[in-house]
Amino acid sequence: MSEVILKGLKKVYDNKVTAVHDVNLDIADKEFIVLVGPSGCGKSTTLRMVAGLEEISDGELYIDGRLVNDVAPKDRDIAMVFQNYALYPHMTVYDNLAFALKLRKTPKAEIDRKVREVAEILDITQYLERKPKALSGGQRQRVAIGRAMVRDPKVFLMDEPLSNLDAKLRNQMRAEIIKLRSRIDTTFMYVTHDQTEAMTLGDRIVIMKDGYVNQIGTPQEVFNKPVNLFVAGFIGMPVMNFFDNCKLLKENGKYIAEIRGVKFVLSEFQQKALTQNQVEPCDIVAGIRPQHVTVGEGELSAMIEVSEMMGSEYNIHARCEGDEVVMLIPTIDLTADVSMGKMVNFTTRPNLIQLFDKASGNNLIWYDADSAAKDAPVCKRYDF
Amino acid sequence: MDAVTSAPKGTLSPEKPKLENKKLKAFKENAPFLIMIFPAVLVVFLFNYMPIYGVLIAFQDFMPGDKILSPDTIWVGFENFQRFFSDPQFWPLMKNTFLICIYGFIIGFPLPILVSLMLNSLKGKKTAKFLQTIFTAPHFISLVVLVGMLTLFFGRYGLVNNIVAHGGGERYSYFLETGAFRPLYILSSNWQDFGWSAVIYIAALSNVDPQQHEAAILDGATRFQRVIHVDLPAIMPMISVMLIMSIGGLMGVGYEKALLMQTDGNLAVSELISTYVYKRGLTGVPDQAYATAIGLFNSIINVVLLVIANTTSKKFSENSLW
Repeated sequence: MSEVILKGLKKVYDNKVTAVHDVNLDIADKEFIVLVGPSGCGKSTTLRMVAGLEEISDGELYIDGRLVNDVAPKDRDIAMVFQNYALYPHMTVYDNLAFALKLRKTPKAEIDRKVREVAEILDITQYLERKPKALSGGQRQRVAIGRAMVRDPKVFLMDEPLSNLDAKLRNQMRAEIIKLRSRIDTTFMYVTHDQTEAMTLGDRIVIMKDGYVNQIGTPQEVFNKPVNLFVAGFIGMPVMNFFDNCKLLKENGKYIAEIRGVKFVLSEFQQKALTQNQVEPCDIVAGIRPQHVTVGEGELSAMIEVSEMMGSEYNIHARCEGDEVVMLIPTIDLTADVSMGKMVNFTTRPNLIQLFDKASGNNLIWYDADSAAKDAPVCKRYDF
Repeated sequence: MDAVTSAPKGTLSPEKPKLENKKLKAFKENAPFLIMIFPAVLVVFLFNYMPIYGVLIAFQDFMPGDKILSPDTIWVGFENFQRFFSDPQFWPLMKNTFLICIYGFIIGFPLPILVSLMLNSLKGKKTAKFLQTIFTAPHFISLVVLVGMLTLFFGRYGLVNNIVAHGGGERYSYFLETGAFRPLYILSSNWQDFGWSAVIYIAALSNVDPQQHEAAILDGATRFQRVIHVDLPAIMPMISVMLIMSIGGLMGVGYEKALLMQTDGNLAVSELISTYVYKRGLTGVPDQAYATAIGLFNSIINVVLLVIANTTSKKFSENSLW
């Protein structure tokens, strides 16, 4: 069992800056959890508090049921992979892998067995006698992962491990980590600012902003049920389209979203949820994912500014009454003329429209006040 | 028939103008930097290379007032060197210079490294800065003042002797006894310079990736183990370079401080090659040719040591001066 529990974790620096506010998180044994958010959101600080590299200002941290707030990093039974690999440049790959075991006075034969076993898994056996500077970025990252693996830690921490790699290598290493995860059965905490990494790697994703946790959920949940404008804008590529100055109306007992004068009668589920949440008609920001737009039908219209043929799909940038609208249309479904300068009609299914309260930025359906971080600042920005 | 025809003599091959253009372009690109470096090159040329011309007098029967090169120059070959080798002072001078230098090196070379590692390991950065300032300050004391301070502390009626006398002990003439000269000379030199010499290592240590320390902490390394496995290897290239340079200048001890500390009582150990060169070349009846020959001999030893140190370092590590 290697469960990690963060209870009201808080980090306040000496200069009174609060980097992390009240983080509550239960990470199950063998779960792969990803902390994602923009720079300065507190994700790395949270990870470093778990590692023991940052002192916890308030709250409790449990690893495997043991309160570890005051336990030295080496005694927490964790291993960490750093963004800059943090390999010892004067040591060979073998010595880098063996270093932690040597410090723990592990018998030589066992060190050798473990090092070779890990090197075999990571396919770096042929580089064991090389020094880090003689390795490529990807190979160095494997060594960094291997150095963590040899210790059989209860928790595996990764702080933006792929950030220093080029796009191609990053994709390759991401796949390697997914494969690796199936081989080493342990709990992972992974920090990244890349939402694609978060979506592809995580069992659950923790989305952070300004030191607050905005949402915790599976990739599907955070994609389909964003609790606020920030999450909606941060997760998903291309970014969700937001239509400001829209209205949520109630006509004949039915909730209706009015976007640029076009009325969408919301789905049964949405009606039920809005009723349950006792939502009154109000000004809203409507969100529609580029993948959920249908071109060539509907009453909304936009002028096409850029049309990119991507092979299997078209990436269309259009302008609808001042708002930029991105549409991702499968080539096979496209019937309309989408050349530059053309006006096209577009629409979406009402159940796919996200409704955000204009005042608070919270999703009128998915925002849960009970689970939301207390005192979190209102998020009104959606131009991420 | 030979189908290959060569270009007529006097015509340029098409590549040549291209190459010249490239050189001109490179020169134009580097012109601002060359202008910036020019004063430094000029200073080095005037004060380091031009005087080399003067070493010619080591091979002459030179008298003050003679021209270095004139039809009347009397060339004596290695006679001045032979005179030095057969001088009764030769071995005492070699021994004194070598011992002062080697003791100074043994204490003075590792001290700044240890100090820099210690300062770098301190948790409180303000404390580290404060200590660094304290350690560096003596470097700016002039040699005359330093020797003055030594006199105040270790003179027959100085602080140390006063304390000893107050405790009922015998006063000791540190400056008149041969046994005290080397420790006083070496320890005071190191006291004066260890902080200054540590600056270069502190600068090198500031480049160590903090994540390496964090990785070592997670690996279970203690503070001392981190110094050994992270900090020390990080400054090893710098240590190698400084080691080569120190060995290269091993016999190049200056005359000023030894001369200031010299008394009739300690002359047997305080007479160094440099003080001897000064005395023979500039005091009494100057024998500049002889003094130059001794100085040149000393420089040759330094060059040989530098080459040996550099070659050895190149062979056993990846660091060398050239």
